[in-house]
Amino acid sequence: MLTTFSRAGLANVTPAIYLKCLFYFPQSLCRRTGLRMFSVSHKTAFVVDHCPYMAESSRQLIECDMLTKSRSQGVIPLAPVSKSLWTCAIECSMEYCRILFDVYPTWKLVNYIVSDSEVHILNSWKQEDQNTHELMAALAAVGPPNPRQDPECCSVLHGLVAAVESLCKITEYQHESRTTLMDTADRVANRGRIICLTNAKSDTHVRMLEDCVLETIQEQNKRAAGSDRLMPIQQCELVLVHIYPQGEETLVSDRQKKEVLSSMLSSEVHSVRAGRYLASKLNVLVQQHFDLASTTITNIPMKEEQHANTSANYDVELLHHRDAHMEFIKSGDLHMAGSTSRDSGLKETVTLKWCTPRTNSVELHYCTGAYRISPVDVNSRPSSCLTNFLLNGRSVLLEQPRKSGSKVISHMLSSHGGEIFLHVLNSTRSTLEDPPSISEGCGGRVTDYRITDFGEFMRENRLTPFPDSMIDAAGRTPVERAKSQLERYTRYWPMIISQTTIFNMQAVVPLANLIVKDTLTDEDVLTCQKTVYNLVDMERKSDPLPISTVGSRGKGPKRDEQYRIMWNELETLVKAHVGTSERHQRVLECISACRSKPPEEEERKKRGRKREDKEDKTEKNGKDTEEKGWTTDSERLKGVMEREKDEQSECEIIKDSPDSPEPLNKKPRLATEEQQPPEKSKGPVSLLTLWTNRITQANSRKHQEFAGRLSSVNNKAELYQHLKEENGMDVHENGKATR
Amino acid sequence: MPTVVLLDSSLSMTRPVSVEGSEEFQRKNLAVHGLTMLFEHMATNYRLEFTSLVAFSSLWELLVPFSRDYNTLQEALNNLEDYDKTCLEAALQGVSNVVQQEWGTSCPCQVVLVTDGALGIGRGSLRHSLQTVKQRVDDKKFPLPFPFPSKLYVMCIANAEELQATDSMDNLEQLINLNGGEGQIYTMEGPLCLKSVQSMFGKLIDQAYSPFHAVLRCGNLTSDVQVFPRPEPVTIDEEVDPIPKTVQTEGDEIGTGATDDTEEETSTNQMAGKSPNFCVLLHGSLKVEGMVALVQLGPDWFGMLYSQADSKKKSNLMMSLFDPGSEPLPWLGRMSQLGPASDAAENPYGEDDSKSPFPIQPKHKRSYAQNVTVWIKASGLQTDVQKILRNAKKLPEKTQTFYKELNRLRKAALAFGFWELLKSVAELLERECTLLPDSAHPDAAFQLSHAAQQLKLASSGDSKYAVFEQNITPMLTDFSGGGGADRI
Repeated sequence: MLTTFSRAGLANVTPAIYLKCLFYFPQSLCRRTGLRMFSVSHKTAFVVDHCPYMAESSRQLIECDMLTKSRSQGVIPLAPVSKSLWTCAIECSMEYCRILFDVYPTWKLVNYIVSDSEVHILNSWKQEDQNTHELMAALAAVGPPNPRQDPECCSVLHGLVAAVESLCKITEYQHESRTTLMDTADRVANRGRIICLTNAKSDTHVRMLEDCVLETIQEQNKRAAGSDRLMPIQQCELVLVHIYPQGEETLVSDRQKKEVLSSMLSSEVHSVRAGRYLASKLNVLVQQHFDLASTTITNIPMKEEQHANTSANYDVELLHHRDAHMEFIKSGDLHMAGSTSRDSGLKETVTLKWCTPRTNSVELHYCTGAYRISPVDVNSRPSSCLTNFLLNGRSVLLEQPRKSGSKVISHMLSSHGGEIFLHVLNSTRSTLEDPPSISEGCGGRVTDYRITDFGEFMRENRLTPFPDSMIDAAGRTPVERAKSQLERYTRYWPMIISQTTIFNMQAVVPLANLIVKDTLTDEDVLTCQKTVYNLVDMERKSDPLPISTVGSRGKGPKRDEQYRIMWNELETLVKAHVGTSERHQRVLECISACRSKPPEEEERKKRGRKREDKEDKTEKNGKDTEEKGWTTDSERLKGVMEREKDEQSECEIIKDSPDSPEPLNKKPRLATEEQQPPEKSKGPVSLLTLWTNRITQANSRKHQEFAGRLSSVNNKAELYQHLKEENGMDVHENGKATR
Repeated sequence: MPTVVLLDSSLSMTRPVSVEGSEEFQRKNLAVHGLTMLFEHMATNYRLEFTSLVAFSSLWELLVPFSRDYNTLQEALNNLEDYDKTCLEAALQGVSNVVQQEWGTSCPCQVVLVTDGALGIGRGSLRHSLQTVKQRVDDKKFPLPFPFPSKLYVMCIANAEELQATDSMDNLEQLINLNGGEGQIYTMEGPLCLKSVQSMFGKLIDQAYSPFHAVLRCGNLTSDVQVFPRPEPVTIDEEVDPIPKTVQTEGDEIGTGATDDTEEETSTNQMAGKSPNFCVLLHGSLKVEGMVALVQLGPDWFGMLYSQADSKKKSNLMMSLFDPGSEPLPWLGRMSQLGPASDAAENPYGEDDSKSPFPIQPKHKRSYAQNVTVWIKASGLQTDVQKILRNAKKLPEKTQTFYKELNRLRKAALAFGFWELLKSVAELLERECTLLPDSAHPDAAFQLSHAAQQLKLASSGDSKYAVFEQNITPMLTDFSGGGGADRI
């Protein structure tokens, strides 16, 4: 279902209407991740050194032969394995990318470059290349560094030069923005970051690398200025990570503070031991580079395989955009909220407590933001248990530990379409508290809305995603088609039950469903015609119609009047769509041809009745209105109304106008009369008149009853009995003859 | 958006204003008059807005906590007493505390400061506060910018010339700048009198408290609505698109006001309650069906409408705005690509409503939804090796799982250039082969030595055997027949 919403000119709004019609406006559901789309983190170029020295062992030993204990004694355990510097660099950079792609599946791009005697560019800035699987496949093809390769012709410099060239290349996002901005295309910035994983010789060597990058940027910027597919680099951050084996002294000094080398380039140097030190360094870097923060979910109860009856409590650490902690950061609660330093680095994590979900109810929480997460330790057992639990459609509320002991739910974990989001819930007082009920507002007292029908309408107008290329012949996007469908479906759509006859009739359904369509087939037209014939048949058999009878104490309008109302309404519906196609036109023609009475006959009858009316009115003024009041068409109706007005003035006092809404089964049926016949030119009868009419009738009961009614059978009394006795059928004939 | 009214009740506010008429006003009377006007406007147009009243001089006092009861606010205003000198910094700190205690730091608030522009002398004066603003230690920081999103409106019961004669105007401007430029200074035009104070507060009302009227449209069904609180403009990207987005304002005209407005004044309300309104119909159906309706607020800006009930079972139509953009909720896909379900070849919701085209799955699974291999911790690697060995012991029953785990390890080792591991696991498998008990199935030995050999070949880096996408397949033996896993 799609509705549109636009602001109207104030002059158009009648104050009475919006007095209580209020919407509430919680904060936006998903928050942006920063005010600059093309910040430094838009492009990240990884340069990994593939020179022979990277094949050196990290000297971190891993025991992989763990089963010796349970084995027979004679077996000699295998020697532990150790990763090379290269392997350490690769797996840590892959971990960096994994977290990045989990939290930012779009907009944040990685270009992965491997450098030895030549440059291996493993992927491009294209969005489809941004996943770890592709990168792993490409890395497998490169393989580990060859220790026998000539070290003289190998250098990480090739990679750095390629990285600068690559940063100049325009991304799909930059291209799209530039195309849409047209004249102001220069607002699209080109910034980027180079993360270089290498084993440097000395501080001088590092300096040389930095100088080389700066020179290349200046060179490339000149080239880029003259190209459409290239953009000069405005800002570049160089992050050099020097990796050295464990147990060795570093030859490169750490320089974590950003050093500004030029207006375009800043640089920092991290000197790290291989192995887990490197892993935690890159984990810290990915958080710094992409504004991430860490949350540890604590007290997750998990059943042990061995001890199915007990459950142990586990912790799982998640990374996400730091805005999810905004409330803590701003209120200075960060430390109070159980923030501690974790072993995974120097960074801080906020501890939130697991609340065992009680129900699986789909509840709309007052959510002020949703942020993608990535588990720090993705394939550990507690992590995968938690993520699988969430991916299976469950939600977990998270509680903020407070010293005072009061329980505050501040976040919720839940998945949407295979992605897990950390939702921020509003834990303070809401400005939307205690809103008035909609029934207190405009239209709130009406009780016979076609709620079920509109529900059906909404289901028919539900939206579904279409592939990007789906634009119809008229060049409309799917959303435009949805809006035009809504327009068609609502051309004639009475909002309350007492305003309509045809929509209360099962027999009309096939036609009503088809006529709103954009195109009709011949078969559809046939179905519509069948519906019409069916109605004709019903009329012939004088089947009752679901016309409201409220306002008249008797049976309501006579059968032929009922059908006339029904046909008129049906015509209104079909006329609203007659312009759509020639086939729609045929349906209208069918109705015009089939409907009960040809207009001439109708006209004649009308005038005949009018005569009767007049006689009625003059002779038995005010008598048995409900008997005759609704039996004829508009002009007659008018007469009745006039008479009612007379009555009203006679009765004068309209006492209690009950405040309580009318029950559904006693709807004011007269509204149907009032709204439908389009030929009624004298303007609609207001609800007030109808209401007072009803009250008048109620009051009339308090008077002495009329003789005619007293002697009636089935609430019907034969009129003019004396005339009949005297003249037989003359009256009627007279009536006609006078014309 | 809640409002805090911060009213200067220092002695200088009792200074009389020179008027030609007989009545003599104090500046305070003018302030009260202006605020009365604001409160009256709120009571009529913003009845759901929370407002609190804080008076300050050298100390500050919360006279009325956040409330929708404008009578109480008015009463407190009328009973205001006079105190000593102006000390704005403490008062602003007070406002900051009051707001945070009530609403936290994410709820935007408006602060209306009403003062005569005499901002104190010496210590505690605004001038002094601003001069020392850069020399603060952490726990004595200047309260601005407020930690919550805010607008600071300064209502001066003084005219601009008067303020410019001293440094008051400069100081106030500095105050707004400290709040990130969020706010505005209003001064009185012409002589200080009831009329000019009215016009000043009138400007504030137009700027900050104008009700938001709109038309909700669903095809030909429409309804006039007021949106509360007022949606504020949003800046999407300060660089690419620096103009804040506002909810569509173009006069998209539609025939509104179709209800009988010929009725008498007194019955108008009743009639409004009784004539059908599309909002009520929509709300009822959304509630019954448990659905939400998408609503478009402008080009590339969407939100949703739904029925929200409070604890007392009172429900109303609620609107949530999404971030402006073409794809605000990833699991709905691009908004412009959402079309009528009836246009689809097959009903995406299923004939019996059992299916849904949502949520849209991302093209690539997230790391936690796929079986990724991470060996950063030694335990990760050890677990993977053990899984292989465990399955190796249960060959040939577990042939499929054995090779699945083996290939997972092989892929990761190839990508990480960790050939040493492949050799090591090959040796483990060979040893496992020699340790097989006599009762073991003959196929087990074949599979183990086949796997070991394949790993060794891969670890040689030979391009024929080290292809990433190629898996080691179970060896076809006389015993394995149609595949080991099928047998018991």
